[in-house]
Amino acid sequence: MSTVRLVGITKHYGATVAVQDFNLQVADGELVTLLGPSGCGKTTTLRTVAGLVEPSAGRIWFDDQDVTDLPPRKRNIGFVFQTPALFPHLSVANNIAFGLSVKGAKKDAIGARVDEMLTMVGLAGYGSRLPAQLSGGQQQRVSLARVLATDPRVLLFDEPLSALDRNLRDTLKYSILDLQRRTRKTAIYVTHDQSEAFAISDRIVVMNAGRAEQIGTQTDIYLHPQTPFVAEFIGANNGLTGTVTGTDGAGDEARMVVAADGLTLRARPRPDVRAGDQVLVYLRPENLVVLPDGDGAEYDNVVDGTIDRVIFEGPTAQLRVDVAGRELRADISGSQRLTLIQRQGKVRLGFNDLTMIPAGAALTSAGSESASAAIANAAPGGTEP
Amino acid sequence: MTAMTLHRPRLKARRLTDVLSHGYIWFCLVLFVLPFVALLTQSLGERGGTSGIDNYADVFGSFGDNLLWSFKISGLALLVDLAVCLPAAYALVRYPVPGKRVIFSLLQLPLYVPGAVIGLSLLMTYTFVYPIEFMWGLVLAMSVGSFPLMLTPIVVALKDLPLVFEEAAECLGATKWQAYRKIVFPLIGPGVSAGLLLCFIIVFNEYLVTLFVHPPEVTTAPLRIFNLVRTAGLLPTTAALAVTMQLISFAAVLLFFRVFGTRYLKGTYLI
Repeated sequence: MSTVRLVGITKHYGATVAVQDFNLQVADGELVTLLGPSGCGKTTTLRTVAGLVEPSAGRIWFDDQDVTDLPPRKRNIGFVFQTPALFPHLSVANNIAFGLSVKGAKKDAIGARVDEMLTMVGLAGYGSRLPAQLSGGQQQRVSLARVLATDPRVLLFDEPLSALDRNLRDTLKYSILDLQRRTRKTAIYVTHDQSEAFAISDRIVVMNAGRAEQIGTQTDIYLHPQTPFVAEFIGANNGLTGTVTGTDGAGDEARMVVAADGLTLRARPRPDVRAGDQVLVYLRPENLVVLPDGDGAEYDNVVDGTIDRVIFEGPTAQLRVDVAGRELRADISGSQRLTLIQRQGKVRLGFNDLTMIPAGAALTSAGSESASAAIANAAPGGTEP
Repeated sequence: MTAMTLHRPRLKARRLTDVLSHGYIWFCLVLFVLPFVALLTQSLGERGGTSGIDNYADVFGSFGDNLLWSFKISGLALLVDLAVCLPAAYALVRYPVPGKRVIFSLLQLPLYVPGAVIGLSLLMTYTFVYPIEFMWGLVLAMSVGSFPLMLTPIVVALKDLPLVFEEAAECLGATKWQAYRKIVFPLIGPGVSAGLLLCFIIVFNEYLVTLFVHPPEVTTAPLRIFNLVRTAGLLPTTAALAVTMQLISFAAVLLFFRVFGTRYLKGTYLI
């Protein structure tokens, strides 16, 4: 049971900046995921929390204790690595007992705890085996048991599923979530896999180039990306650049008019955007609807285009539509996708929800703003507005 | 029918290659074993009416002391080697030591320097710089000459050992020393034992450096053989001592393969 607070964490390797002014507060019992492409600094950040990497600047707090200068063994953490990292010369039971035995626990207590942990991860009776005699998934479950045996304050996961095959990943990610919920441990989880992050997180930190781009729940990040990077990295998106030309309508119906790449689009107003501003506009492919000819009055935006290509993906059909010389992607689901497979020629698309981001919303301002906002608002469970 | 006649010459050619290659292997084996057989025959030779087996009584009689010295010097030299090489290898592999490659190459130097040169330089060192009493001068000389053979396999084993095991141990609450003792050391065991074996074989059979630096009261078995052959020619008893030394070295190699070979060397040409 512990909160974790990272304040201004920075890590340089020579001239290379791995992490830049990273701020995060993790509430007690919360599972926060650091999500980003490889090389974005997420693993380095996690390793500073573990004490395996010394930050160049910044402090790390567990509750009211500043742990920045403590070695890993004094932090009482559980670190699950990308590989199971089971000690190959020790039996499964001795692997799980390792943490307790180096801390000088009594033999009887260790034995009982090992059995309890093996049962917890569903491997009772495997104690006497050597790690090499287990499958990859079983090994990673043992490494979970080994970490939980010492009753750590904080659980840290460094892409624990990336070395496993797809089916195993799907089952094991829910096992991890289940164990974290049952033990009510505070956890930080690093992954580059969006579906993994979306499945298990209370909150997600999207990282890019050593910085936190946005911190929020799955819906925050997916529906209201704050920076171009988040809009483009999370899910698929059609990105356009444009200029705000004015406002249309009033009250709830008010829309900003954007001239973007030869199209005139209407988006919900943002207080930080005015007429004349450069903006980036993003349309999610699943929000684009194929309309019958001549229809479309209920949509803010209606565009006409020509179908370039239809890609049938099973649950969805992907439409590549040429609209005013640029390609838009529309993902069509339901029975409509089947009627579209053979379709060619002209098509009319309608959509309401589009995301408008000021062109100046670069990494720095948006990242640290949302980060500090997240710290101010951090609440147990991590469900902030 | 035609097919068979066509194939015949090819089969014959293959058979001939088989015979030749097997013959070559046996020729090499005999070549390697021949000196040992010669020595064995000599060691069983009769002298003055006693049977050949009696020659071996001397090995544990008048030569017993020499064998004991050999074991003592080898054992101590191995301990010194271990004490130097375990931390040195760890530092070379795990820490950013400046000029790492140069240092490692320099440390290999004793392997390339002739024994007589090492012996002479150590003799001068002991005589003029650091007078070392009793057998320790010899022990240190053996360590200096053999430690690269200990260092290299340990460095290789450590390089092959992912850092993640130590990190996992430390995150679980182990001190650096506990992580080393309980995790790293057992996992580099094959490297350490390879080093022990190589050093033992070299030190146990060494006589040239010993010739220069041995104190009068210490005569190792190889040195005794050398002295006896020089003064009295190859007596059957001397040959018996030599055969015993060969058997001991052989036993060490067999023991190594028996304990570690099956686990770690399977699939290599060694087994």
